Amino acid sequence: MTENSRFKRLSSGRDYIADNYLESFSLTDAANNSFMSPFHFSRIFKENYGETPNEFLIRLRIEKAKQMLITENYSVSEICERVGYMSLGSFSSLFLKHVGMPPTSYRRTLWKLSSEPFRYPLQAIPACYAYHFLRKPVN
Amino acid sequence: MITSIAHATIYVLNQDEALDFYKNKLGFEVGDDMKMEGGFRWLTVYPKSKSQLQLVLAEPKEGPMFTKDSAEKIRSLIEEGAFGAGVFETENCQKTYEELVAKGVEFIQPPTEQLYGIEAMGIDNSGNWFSLVQR
Repeated sequence: MTENSRFKRLSSGRDYIADNYLESFSLTDAANNSFMSPFHFSRIFKENYGETPNEFLIRLRIEKAKQMLITENYSVSEICERVGYMSLGSFSSLFLKHVGMPPTSYRRTLWKLSSEPFRYPLQAIPACYAYHFLRKPVN
Repeated sequence: MITSIAHATIYVLNQDEALDFYKNKLGFEVGDDMKMEGGFRWLTVYPKSKSQLQLVLAEPKEGPMFTKDSAEKIRSLIEEGAFGAGVFETENCQKTYEELVAKGVEFIQPPTEQLYGIEAMGIDNSGNWFSLVQR
């Protein structure tokens, strides 16, 4: 099998995760989508993308949760379910590990900084860009 | 010591259309798509790879940085093809070129042997040039 063909299959499994990350699904399904065993899929995935399929899945879910916490009015429990987690405890632990603060603190902190409801504060993006596009000193 | 580059800016004519191009034609992923206070949209994309670099797709608009005249001049320069988006790497230039052509991506140079590898040159849907390089 050519390198390009293997990468295409791998990419197909990655796309499967990206397309279904909000649902409850097994990473075995993603591996099947690449016509690889879960072990092989995981190893090749890490080699090519620098993260395991599970780390990729968690990253997508946490990023989506961060967005929903700022731009939506759902409760943390609702967001937990909407990003594909069944257990609020697991979700909160993962969020804390990846973001550095619990979901409620993240929401409270960013909402407090923003001058408009459901919009990100300027402090959420690199200051050089905030200054460049909005010319507002950031603290 | 600076260890990597995190963000680089590409000025585009329309963020929605640029997002469609970079995501659905080039196959990039969306990093951030955030509505900021003040109405600014922070939109970043990145290739599916280990790369940490995110491309900020920004529209030149009248605002703190640009006067209306400056923004219009930049938009005009983008349309004229005066700006480059950068160099995108691939493991197989010919194959990727063919895939992108099939998706409707415009190229101004097919894969060609260069001193540094095989390179094709394309244009995004705003007018920014980019190189597609196999090293």
